[in-house]
Amino acid sequence: MLRYVALRVLIALVLVWLVSTLVFLVLHLVPGDPAELLLSAGNSAPDPVAVAELRAQMGLDRPVLAQYASYIADLTHLDFGVSLRDQNPIAPELALRLPRTLELILAAAVIACLIGVPLGTLAAMRDGGWSEKFVSLLASAALSTPVFVVGTTMILVFAQWLGWISAGGYVPLAEDPLRHLSLLAMPAATIALPLTAVMIRMTRASVLEVLEKDHVRTARAKGLARGPIIRRHVVRNALVPVITVLGLEMGTLIGGTVLVEYVFNWPGLSGYLVRAVEARDYPEVVGIVLVISFLFVLLNLLIDITYAVLDPRVKLAK
Amino acid sequence: MTRAERSLYIWLGVAAILIAFPILAPVLPLQPTIGMDIPNRFAGPSAANWLGNDEYGRDVLSRIIWGARASLAVAFGSAFCAAVIGTILGLLGGYFRGITEILAVRSTEIVICLPPLLLAMLVITILGAGVLTLTVALTILFVPNYTRVVYAATLQTGGLDFVKAQEAMGTHPLKILARTVLPNIVPPLLVQFSLTVASGILLESGLSFLGLGVVPPAPSWGLMIRAARAAMDQQPLLLLWPSLSLAGTVLLLNVICDRLQDVLSPKTAARGGAAWLRRQIKRTPDAPAPDVPLLKIENLSVGVDLDHASLGLTKEIAFEIKPGETMALVGESGSGKTLTGLAMTGLLPNALSVTGGHAWFRSSGGAVDLAHLTEDEFGPLRGNEISMVFQDAAAALNPVHRIGDQLCEIIQRHRPMPKAEAEAEVVELLRKVGIPDPERRIRAYPFELSGGQRQRAMIAMAVANAPKLLIADEPTTALDPTIQAQILRLPPPRRAGGRGRACGCIPRSASPAPR
Repeated sequence: MLRYVALRVLIALVLVWLVSTLVFLVLHLVPGDPAELLLSAGNSAPDPVAVAELRAQMGLDRPVLAQYASYIADLTHLDFGVSLRDQNPIAPELALRLPRTLELILAAAVIACLIGVPLGTLAAMRDGGWSEKFVSLLASAALSTPVFVVGTTMILVFAQWLGWISAGGYVPLAEDPLRHLSLLAMPAATIALPLTAVMIRMTRASVLEVLEKDHVRTARAKGLARGPIIRRHVVRNALVPVITVLGLEMGTLIGGTVLVEYVFNWPGLSGYLVRAVEARDYPEVVGIVLVISFLFVLLNLLIDITYAVLDPRVKLAK
Repeated sequence: MTRAERSLYIWLGVAAILIAFPILAPVLPLQPTIGMDIPNRFAGPSAANWLGNDEYGRDVLSRIIWGARASLAVAFGSAFCAAVIGTILGLLGGYFRGITEILAVRSTEIVICLPPLLLAMLVITILGAGVLTLTVALTILFVPNYTRVVYAATLQTGGLDFVKAQEAMGTHPLKILARTVLPNIVPPLLVQFSLTVASGILLESGLSFLGLGVVPPAPSWGLMIRAARAAMDQQPLLLLWPSLSLAGTVLLLNVICDRLQDVLSPKTAARGGAAWLRRQIKRTPDAPAPDVPLLKIENLSVGVDLDHASLGLTKEIAFEIKPGETMALVGESGSGKTLTGLAMTGLLPNALSVTGGHAWFRSSGGAVDLAHLTEDEFGPLRGNEISMVFQDAAAALNPVHRIGDQLCEIIQRHRPMPKAEAEAEVVELLRKVGIPDPERRIRAYPFELSGGQRQRAMIAMAVANAPKLLIADEPTTALDPTIQAQILRLPPPRRAGGRGRACGCIPRSASPAPR
C-alpha cells in the first residue's frame, strides 16, 4: 500500500510539473506579445516605451529558458508573483479563496455520490421498468442543462419567487454557520446536478455489469437475501469503476465552479479567475489556473488511493 | 432496418429540421437582431414578435435563431478541426508506435490534466474574446479525446490479419492507414463527434455567459441568458427561451449519441436486468408432492425464452438421489450438466428458465419443488440444505472481500453467531479442505490464493453448513482426484448423529468420477 501511494504521489508531482510547463508554453508560444496586447486599447498602437517597461517588469525581455527557470523556481516556493492591476502579491489571495472553492467541490461531490449511487443502483435493479426510465430521463435532462441555467433558474425560483434563500453571497463559517450552510446549498446543489447524472449513469451501467458476474450467483447460492447481496456483493464491486469516473469528471466539476461561483457571487477562486481574464491580468490568470490544476491533480491522487482501498487487486497490479 | 436504427434516423431527422433554421436564417423572414424598439422593451409574445422582446426591445425569436448560428459554428467547427487533428495524431501514434506515439499521443494527454474551461480561459486571456478564439480554444481541448479514441482503435485494427497482409504486400503505410484502418475507426469517431459537439455548445454558451465568449451585440444563447439574468424579475420568459433552446439542443445531441451507440454496438445482454431482483409470483406446484427420499428429478427441461417462443436446451431429464448416495452426471460438454445443476438451485442465468418438469427435494420443512420456488423461498435452502460448488472458483469468489469474510457470511446467514465463533469455524473448515496455515489465509483476498486453494475455499464454503445435497460442478478442475475424494468424505461438522449427505457430482471427465 505504502509503495502504491508513494508511486501515485510521484506521478502527481510529475503531472504538476507538466501542467506548469504547459501553461508556460501556452503563454510563450501563442503569437503576440503579452505586454503589447495588454497595453493596446482599441486600435491605437501602444507606446513602445511603456511596452518595454512592462516587458522588463514581467521579465519578458530575458531569454525564454531563463524565464522558465525562474518561473519554476518561484513555483517551488509557491510564489505566484504580483498582480498587474494593483501590484498585490497573488499567493495570499489564492490561499484565501482556495478553501472556499474546495468546499463547493467537496459538497457537490458528496451530494452527487449520496444521490447518484442509490438512484443508479435502483435504475439497474429495475432495468427496463418505469422507475428506471424515469431516473434515466432525469439524468439525461440534468446532463443536458448547463449549470449556469440551473443556477439562474434556482435563484429565480427559490430566491426571487419563493424568497426562501438569498440569491447568493458568502458568510464565513465561523461567523454564522447556519447562514453559511444556507448560502452553500444552492451553488453546491447546482454543481452537483450534472455530476449526479453522471454518477447515476455510471452506477447503473456498472451495477448491471456486476449483476452478471459469477460471484453474485455465488452470493445467491449462499442463500443471502437481496439486500445484503446488493450492498456487499454488487454495489461494493460496482463502485470501483464509478470512482474512476468521478476522477475523470473532476475537470468538468471544476469547470462548473467557474460558472457557478459567478452566478451565485461565491468569492472563490473561479470568480477571481473570471475577473482576472476580463482584465487580462496574466500573472493572476496563471496563478489561478495553476492552483486549480494542482487541485485537480490532488483530487485525482485521492481518487487513485480510494480506488486501491476499494479494490485490493489494484495495489499489486501497478 | 432494426429498431435502434429507425430510432436513430428519426432523431437525426429532428436534428436536421432544427439545424435548418439557423442555416437558413439569412433567407428567413426574421426581424433584424439589432433593431431596437425601446418603447416595447420586455414586451411579451405577440403576433409580430412570437417570443416577445428583450431588454432593448429586440425580437427574441430572431436572436435565438441567429444565436444558434454562433453556438453551432463554434461547436461544429471546433469538433471538426479537433477530429481531423486528433485522428491524424492518433493514427500515426497507433500505427508507428515508439517515438511517434510519445509525441502524438502522450503529449496531447497533458491537456487532459487541465480542467477544460480553464484551458479555454487561458487561451482567451491571450487571444481576447471572440468566436475565432473560442473555436481555437475548444479545438485544443477536444484534440486529446479524438487522439485517445483513434489511437486505441488503431492499435486494435493494426493487429488484424488483413492489415498485416497489406503490410506484407509492401503497401505504403500511409495508404494502409487511409484505406484499411480509417474506415474501421469511423464508429467510435462518430460517437466522439456527437459528444464533443454537445460539450462545445455547453462550453461556448458558458463562456459567453461569463462575457468571455461571443462579443455583443452579436446574438448568442449564453449572452441572452446573461442579459436575461439581470432582468429576470421583470420578464422571466427572457430566461426561458434561450435556456430551453440550449438544454434542448444538448439533450437532442445526447440522445443521438446514445442511439448511435445502440446501433454501433448492439447490446447482447438481455434487457430487463436480473430477473431474481424482481418480485416473483408464488407458484403452487401443479402436481402433488410424491414421496421423495431426497431428490427426485422428473422430466426437467430448461429452455431459452425468446420473444415469442421458447427454445429447448435440455429435455426431460430424470434421476433420483437417495440420502448418502453419490451420483455422477456424465456427458459431453454442452449437454446440459451445469444447466441441470443450476435449475435445481434456481440459479439459471437471465433468459433461461425451467420449461417443464419437477425437481422434488425433501427439505426439513417437507417436500418442495425446486423447479418452481421463488427467490425468497430458496433463501433458507441455498447454502444450508443444498449447496453448490461452482466450476470456476476464481470468478465465483468475490474479488474485493477476504476469503474469511466470504465464508463467515454463509455460516452467519444460516446459523446466527458472533463473528469470532464463525471465524473459528472457518479456520477449522479451511484446515479440513487442506489449505495450509488457515489462520492467516482467512485474511487473504481470492487473488492472493492459488487456483487450487481457491477451489478448496469454494468447497469449504459449500460444506460449511453440512448440506443435505451437495452439487459439485466440475470440482476437480483444479484439484487432483485424491484430494477430491478426501473432501467428499468430510464428515458433517454439525448436527449430532451424523446425517447422510448426498452428492450430485458433475465430473470434468469420466475417469475421476467418485464412487
